[in-house]
Amino acid sequence: MKEIFIKELKQALNNYLGYIIVFLFSLFANFLFIKDIFVSYSFSFKGFFLVIPWLFLIFIPALTMRSFSEEKRLNTIEVLLTLPVSEIQIILGKFFSHLVILKIALVLTMFFPVASIFLAKTYLPEIIVGYLGLIFLAGFFVSIGLYFSNLTKNQVVAFLSTILVTFSLVVISTDFFANLLPRFLINQLIYFSPLYHFENFSKGVIDLRSVFYFISATTVFLFLTIIDLEKKQ
Amino acid sequence: MINLSSVFKSFNNKSVIDNVSFKIKKGEILGFVGPNGAGKTTTMRLILGYLKPDKGEILIDNLNPVEKRIEVLTKVGYLPENNPLYQDMRVDDYLSFIASIKKASNIEKIVNEVGLKEVINKKIDELSRGYKQRVGLGAALLGNPEILILDEPTSGLDPIEQEKIRELIKKISKNKIIIFSTHILSEVEDIANRLIIINYGKILYDGAKPKGKGAVEKLFKLKIKKNL
Repeated sequence: MKEIFIKELKQALNNYLGYIIVFLFSLFANFLFIKDIFVSYSFSFKGFFLVIPWLFLIFIPALTMRSFSEEKRLNTIEVLLTLPVSEIQIILGKFFSHLVILKIALVLTMFFPVASIFLAKTYLPEIIVGYLGLIFLAGFFVSIGLYFSNLTKNQVVAFLSTILVTFSLVVISTDFFANLLPRFLINQLIYFSPLYHFENFSKGVIDLRSVFYFISATTVFLFLTIIDLEKKQ
Repeated sequence: MINLSSVFKSFNNKSVIDNVSFKIKKGEILGFVGPNGAGKTTTMRLILGYLKPDKGEILIDNLNPVEKRIEVLTKVGYLPENNPLYQDMRVDDYLSFIASIKKASNIEKIVNEVGLKEVINKKIDELSRGYKQRVGLGAALLGNPEILILDEPTSGLDPIEQEKIRELIKKISKNKIIIFSTHILSEVEDIANRLIIINYGKILYDGAKPKGKGAVEKLFKLKIKKNL
């Protein structure tokens, strides 16, 4: 797995697209954090953390869309699958390399939160738990992105499918859907929404049910990717 | 030893490999020939465990390549058709990546053997087709595999590059099993000591390479004509 992880990371670092994605992500995130400061002369980490998942909806599919579709288009997937390395190792190598890139992107959003520690009274665990939640959320979205990238040779299809699924999962916990659908249905559906589980983290609360949700949901999509990769043989 | 017995494979209900059986022993260089779509690449992929047979058994040193994929692949070096490579990687990075997976320590030897020294720091997409083929062949040779499977190793190369690759295959063939597919029948005459002719997934000839200039081509045409 280590070999795939290093190769993926090197390839991402040698590719300008990865830099653009990370740069734009941190630019938008930092802008969204500071914009309220100049309006209300106050800042809220909760608001900041709740806006990042919406940025993830675009940036994570852009990052993961190449993973398998490009390998399939160029047939380098045949090279990988005829090396003494298991499908699990290939998928986990790709998964963790994407997660590291996203962690770098998240580190670049930390400038203002860190500055706020020195400038104002800040509850540090809230920030740490918020970022932990973002990592869980990023992992889940990456697993969905890898799954769809493995289904097609076409990067655009992989990108759009990932956006569609992650967006659908996110919006079911919004007020818009709460008003649209019957209450009993919303009560059931909301548990499947990553945003609903992430809200606990954004408040600085680690709810083990939410940790379980993110780990199991990520595992399900990684497992589906492994099955699909094996099935195609 | 490679042992295929009564292997069948079909895609979308269309038979691609139809009751194929053969054994290959150490030291044999097998020329695998047939028209386009005859089943050469599929057979190679089945041997590698990249594809699962619908019926029949494949054993590589008594190991099933699907069930024991990792163990089998440590014994095999493979150059796929059209030589897919990570174009954005440098030659040394690519070979190091393959070597790290194969736990191979013979990168330098291979680089010298296949003649990649002068392009080692170049990006793969900057290389000529001949050099790219050498990169693919070098990657297949890493880890000193007992079995080499080369799917059209000289396809698309100019005659000088073809000759170089052929010489290279001859040089590395000692104490190995080599299976190579080709459309260039003179290549079989030059390199192979055994010949399999396949068409529509069926083996039409399996035996020693016929001797004499043009004998392979004559036999190939005869077998294919009969099979039409």
